[in-house]
Amino acid sequence: MAGRTDTTFGGARLDVSWSQIRRYCYDGVTYLVYGLAVLFFLFPVLWVISLSLRTEGAVYTSLELLPSNPSLDSYREVLDSGLLRWMRNTLFVAVLSVTGILLVTTPAAYGFSRFRFRGRRSLLLAVLGFQMISPIVIVLPLYDIMRTLGLTESHTGLILLYIGLQIPFSLWLLKGYFDTIPTELDKAARIDGCNRLQTLRYVLLRPVMPGIAVVAIFNFVLTWSEFVMAYTMLSPGGEDLYTLSMGIYVFDNQLATQWTNIAAAAVIGIVPIVIFFVALQRYFVRGLTDGAVKG
Amino acid sequence: MTVMLTMTSDAAIDDPSSGSGIRRTVGTYVDSVVSRPLFWLLPALLFITVFQLYPVFEVFRMSLTDMSLITSEESYVWLENYRRLLGSERFYSTLRVTGLYSIASIILQIGLGLGLALAIDYGVRRGLRGPLFTRVVVLSAWIVPGIIIGLVWKIMLLETNVGVVNNALGRLGFGIVPFLSDAQIAVVSVITAGAWRGTAFSMIMFYAGLKRVPDELYRAAKIDGAGPLARFRYVTLPQLKSVVFVVTILVTIYSLNSFDLIFALTNGGPGRATEVIALSMYKSAFNSYEMGMAAATAVVLLMVTLVVTAVYFRLFDISEEI
Repeated sequence: MAGRTDTTFGGARLDVSWSQIRRYCYDGVTYLVYGLAVLFFLFPVLWVISLSLRTEGAVYTSLELLPSNPSLDSYREVLDSGLLRWMRNTLFVAVLSVTGILLVTTPAAYGFSRFRFRGRRSLLLAVLGFQMISPIVIVLPLYDIMRTLGLTESHTGLILLYIGLQIPFSLWLLKGYFDTIPTELDKAARIDGCNRLQTLRYVLLRPVMPGIAVVAIFNFVLTWSEFVMAYTMLSPGGEDLYTLSMGIYVFDNQLATQWTNIAAAAVIGIVPIVIFFVALQRYFVRGLTDGAVKG
Repeated sequence: MTVMLTMTSDAAIDDPSSGSGIRRTVGTYVDSVVSRPLFWLLPALLFITVFQLYPVFEVFRMSLTDMSLITSEESYVWLENYRRLLGSERFYSTLRVTGLYSIASIILQIGLGLGLALAIDYGVRRGLRGPLFTRVVVLSAWIVPGIIIGLVWKIMLLETNVGVVNNALGRLGFGIVPFLSDAQIAVVSVITAGAWRGTAFSMIMFYAGLKRVPDELYRAAKIDGAGPLARFRYVTLPQLKSVVFVVTILVTIYSLNSFDLIFALTNGGPGRATEVIALSMYKSAFNSYEMGMAAATAVVLLMVTLVVTAVYFRLFDISEEI
């Protein structure tokens, strides 16, 4: 292939060369797109990392990404002032929320996929309809409900809230997954003596795993990053309750212009969750592309 | 009657070895419970009722009252909140900002997302280097918490030497650009940060759609003599139609309801230049304590979202595909 480009531009070969040249042009444009995309999407993060490694005096001067005498002081300072605690809180809330979401939606997705009952379609559409209502629209009544139930200023309340808010989307996605699994499997399990619970547990759970992985990854990222609900429900409580996002926001407002510290806080807000996602994004993308996102 | 029959036969299959009547009854009981759909749906429906259905009704009710965060008394003022809202300059300003932000976001994010998805799909099919790395980088931007994205762009766009964009422009001989303190430029900054975050979502949805276009279709079109552009127009686009529909709806809902990124980046400023509906709602609830007014704003936001979505359903006419 490569040998042919430099051979000839004339005669009978012209046709071949043209299509090849055109292909190289497309390749070139594609690489250009990759380059620009990487620059636009990666640079801000690199820059913030660079700032976070500087001494307070060095932020005004240089444009180099690699600071001349890097220091970890701002991380030390920031972690001491609460970020570590907020990270633990966030992890706790995210893990329990994801567990709860899976425990509630998996059976429901099975139910919608495997039963035929009156009103099934309208119920399903109604559930999906909630997907169109942004949480911000109902944050006020939710705050009121949680206050009445005594669940503000508590992680338990926040976890219940996240489960409630994330069900429609997760249900939609998982139900699509169950739909792709042939019902012959159910029938075979039944003949082998499984009731429905056992069928789900021993037969269907394995093929549905990619879908469960997508739902788990997606919801973990979402609850880890969530701001509005956490800020609304938890900010009357003490700093000890904060999650990472809201903690960093409050922190930023207190620090005013200590840019290296703010940058360090931002990096701590970015790096763990991005590493988590990059490690698992293969499953996420595969689950989305192979599976059941029906139009 | 048939139900009864299957139940008993199930129980027999369930526990063939057992001769015990009690275990048999328990088995039958479990079977009859788990063969009802309600058993499977109940927890999910309960959660949805408490955390979604009831709050939607409640926000409508609240919008008709003078509820406040400071006092526990409330009385019905009916449409007074809406009258005040429609009479205020601020409301129209937030509506304008939200519209502008959303339209620009939809065009940018869908355009960039589709372009990137095509480039990545092309690279994968051709075996080029880089599509995976690019995909991961773009997706990473989407993963960063919204509040932190606001913070990152605030740092990037600072109007001193610390702001890397202004610093670089300064070295090229330009003056300081007021990215966050000029009313019009601030809107552009907010839109840019929004695209930085949102593009990944449409990219990954389009990419998933592209991967599902069968290779045979492209080959057949090629044999019929279709060039790359014709293949895109007549093979790719029709196959992507339902994905385009879903992405457009979701990106629209998402941008109309934007909150956290703007909250951290400009907090609606300078003045009210970047104050979107959700932000003004939040401020009237938790800064001015007027829950009733805020609820009315939320209802308007919900209505705008529903109307726009309904218009999409009309426009796209995808009835045959769902």
